[in-house]
Amino acid sequence: MMTQHKTNSSSWKNKFREKLIEIIGEDGVISSEDELLAYDCDALTGYRIKPIFVVLPTNAKQVSEVVKECYHENIPFVPRGAGTGLSGGALPTDEGIVIALSKMNKILDVDIPNQRVVVEPGVVNLWVTNAVSPYGYYYAPDPSSQIVCTIGGNVAENSGGVHCLKYGVTTNHVLGVEMVMPDGEIIEIGGKALDHPGYDLTGLIVGSEGLLGIVTKVTLKIIKKPEAVKTLFASYDNVEDAGASVSGITARGVIPAGMEIMDSFCIKSVEETIGAGYPIDAGAILLVELDGPLAEVEAQMPIVEEVLKENNAIQIKIAKNSKERDLLWKGRKSAFPAMGRISSDYYVQDGVIPRSKLAEVLGEIGELSKKYGLRVANVFHAGDGNLHPLVLYDASKEGDLDKTLELAGEILKVCVDKGGSITGEHGVGHDKKRFLSLMFSDNDLDAMNLIRCAFDNKGLCNPGKLFPTPRTCVEPGMKKFEEHPVQKAGMGEMY
Amino acid sequence: MIKKSVTKKLKSIVGEKNTILEKEELKAFGIDDVLPEIVLSPNNIEQVSEIMKLVSKESLSVIPRGSGTKSALGNKPDRGNIVISTNNLNRIIEHGASDLVATTECGISLGSLQKELNKENQFLALDPPHINKDATIGGIIATNDSGPERLRYGTAREFLIGIKVVKADGSIFKGGSKVVKNVAGYDLPKLYVGSLGTLGIIVEATFRLYPVPEYSETYLASFSSLENCHKTILTLLNSNLVLTSLELLNPGLTALLSKRNNLDINGSEYCLAIGIKNVEKAVKDQISTVKKICEQSGGKGVLIRGSQEEKLWEDVRNFPSNIVKAESAVCKASILVTQIPTVLNMVKQLSDENGVETSVSTRAGNGICIIAIRGDASSITNAVKNLRAFISTLGGSLIIQETSTEIKEQFDIWGDIGSGLGIMKRIKSNFDPDNILNPGRYI
Repeated sequence: MMTQHKTNSSSWKNKFREKLIEIIGEDGVISSEDELLAYDCDALTGYRIKPIFVVLPTNAKQVSEVVKECYHENIPFVPRGAGTGLSGGALPTDEGIVIALSKMNKILDVDIPNQRVVVEPGVVNLWVTNAVSPYGYYYAPDPSSQIVCTIGGNVAENSGGVHCLKYGVTTNHVLGVEMVMPDGEIIEIGGKALDHPGYDLTGLIVGSEGLLGIVTKVTLKIIKKPEAVKTLFASYDNVEDAGASVSGITARGVIPAGMEIMDSFCIKSVEETIGAGYPIDAGAILLVELDGPLAEVEAQMPIVEEVLKENNAIQIKIAKNSKERDLLWKGRKSAFPAMGRISSDYYVQDGVIPRSKLAEVLGEIGELSKKYGLRVANVFHAGDGNLHPLVLYDASKEGDLDKTLELAGEILKVCVDKGGSITGEHGVGHDKKRFLSLMFSDNDLDAMNLIRCAFDNKGLCNPGKLFPTPRTCVEPGMKKFEEHPVQKAGMGEMY
Repeated sequence: MIKKSVTKKLKSIVGEKNTILEKEELKAFGIDDVLPEIVLSPNNIEQVSEIMKLVSKESLSVIPRGSGTKSALGNKPDRGNIVISTNNLNRIIEHGASDLVATTECGISLGSLQKELNKENQFLALDPPHINKDATIGGIIATNDSGPERLRYGTAREFLIGIKVVKADGSIFKGGSKVVKNVAGYDLPKLYVGSLGTLGIIVEATFRLYPVPEYSETYLASFSSLENCHKTILTLLNSNLVLTSLELLNPGLTALLSKRNNLDINGSEYCLAIGIKNVEKAVKDQISTVKKICEQSGGKGVLIRGSQEEKLWEDVRNFPSNIVKAESAVCKASILVTQIPTVLNMVKQLSDENGVETSVSTRAGNGICIIAIRGDASSITNAVKNLRAFISTLGGSLIIQETSTEIKEQFDIWGDIGSGLGIMKRIKSNFDPDNILNPGRYI
């Protein structure tokens, strides 16, 4: 490729670096080999690519100027938040730069009476809640990484959390964005008021995995803390009973704020790590949180308990105070890191199924685990059918990782066969692009490509992600597809 | 003009009885003064696709249509040879009651869909106007229509999780999925909410559903001043009450609605209608808190339930249609909750200055004002232009939802779409390169 040739030339590189420094200043451009290493992957550490430069802009204008330079020079660029993504969405591109938004971390406006907060993309998720909690408000989407992950990253991935069964995911709480388009133009979409005329581009941009542009400002909706919150857990002999309880609860017309299941592997490792008070010999536990007006929560609690008992719950415990409640949740949120105690390595899968199929699918995952001879621990947002099977493996064992990835892929196939999705919150990114065609036909992917091309006709913004194979853009009215350089080089195919 | 041979082909796709060619009958399908030459009601999605393949080759223009309850929305179409009605696409494909999701063809009326879902004590949380006139699911999605309960549930974008569309070239694609949580691929369903038929014909939709609340009550309170009323609104919104709807009626509308519904309310004052749906005890507890909050600001109120309550909300949903006679323009202003008094005072001032009459129903928790204006065309045009200019200085927007062709020709009914317009146009041209879907009405 032409760009490859260019970026290899040290005189071009120096000149390009000078331009970046002119825009951002010396301290905003990272070019030393050592420092670049810190940006060669996100939380999906199995894939690493070193960018040519990393830039750390402090405002939208700088982002725009950098992007214009890239557009002019045909240099691909990858936006990056805190790098906590699990699908490789912030994995750098060969011969491209990384635009890290970590310095754009100001909360710009806290508007309590209108229930809005405007932030820069580098603001950490939890900061939003911290800023508004003195007024009795919070920001609902709460991914497990909320103490480090950023709003910009949440917007890119349409992040979820443990309370999205009732309150929705990021897209339900974003009302507008300012965005630098892939050619450098700055546009403003939506805002604090609702129903702005025009297409719902905000809805399209949230969850677009950084392929449509770089978000430089986000308007969020905050919500009032509920009058009452009740959290309980139930233990079971097996995970199937826990799963059946979940669909039993919604079938009775109760929508809890969240419902989470952990199987015995997770319980043991969490107990050994932090001691959340889960019964260590249980086959599974289910956490249920009800919130809302006190009278509503009180009316729903007996219904939930009844369903749990009908589904063979062994022990049911209701958190007596916020300290007990926090401990129950802390156990859940530390499930991934705690897994390190029972396995040196693990792969986090993220798939979705209709919640009525929980018990069935868990059985099938168990079968697959046996077939591959690898342990699979299950922890998931059961309320919305979002599974997070953790495949445990040993990286030092030859072939173990390959087997793990194969098993994880089989699990996705099961999810799609049951009418579900290959990702509920981690995104497609680099990791799952080959699975996207399990869900979507060529026609479906073509429609998505029309979107990408409308935003980014040169394909420079976070390229190589999401789409199963590289796709070119066709100018309107032009019927013939041109061969993409990648195709010419035999590295990808058109379909 | 459609060629005779093409008409024949079109007719053969859907069959004689699903084709309208008679001039007199076609009149009912016109938009502004643009009359179609043919109306087709395909029986299935494949037929929609076949029609689009044929008409895109011929560069004929198409106006997609549900029950036509919102056909006044949008600028005057540049042209419109063919109306494709989705009326025969009215099958419910799947109601996964235990998963709280349903997939349906888009020509079904919201009323019929709700009837089916109600059998399992579930519902689609949309309460737009014209349910009694068979407003269809496709039309509601395309126009992003909603009602007072958007305060509690949001609009279609919050629960439309999957979609199937026939594109201008006749190709069929789907976006989203059938599970409530999914981030695979772009969120195409959201793009289609409010796209007014300009990006394709929406033929199938999957929604997340809610359980039907057990019990409902509404408290109505009138206030001697707008300021006191607004103070109450802010207090209610800043509480941890979970309101289903919160509607602010201006004095003229208060009088009308209290008369229609036998309400013991002072018709010359601003009035708040506060609806709560939940388990019975949670409704009663919260309504008593609502009553206290209203009384603190001097609000005098009544409690209604049952059929009286249902009728009031039906009126609010359908406002201004059926309620205010012969309105000449209906606008929707989107502002912030804190700006409500400023904007309502400006509406009053402009009405007086221009000699027009206005009724306003405000979704007070969302900052959406539905404004019905009566008067002669030039006064209305003037009042709307000034109001739009004022609202844009506040960072809000104003669209004209319904008006005469004469007034429509005075200005763009959508107003300033902003710096996103360029990319919207590129999306439109990528999905519909020859601009055959609803040309001129929107993007």
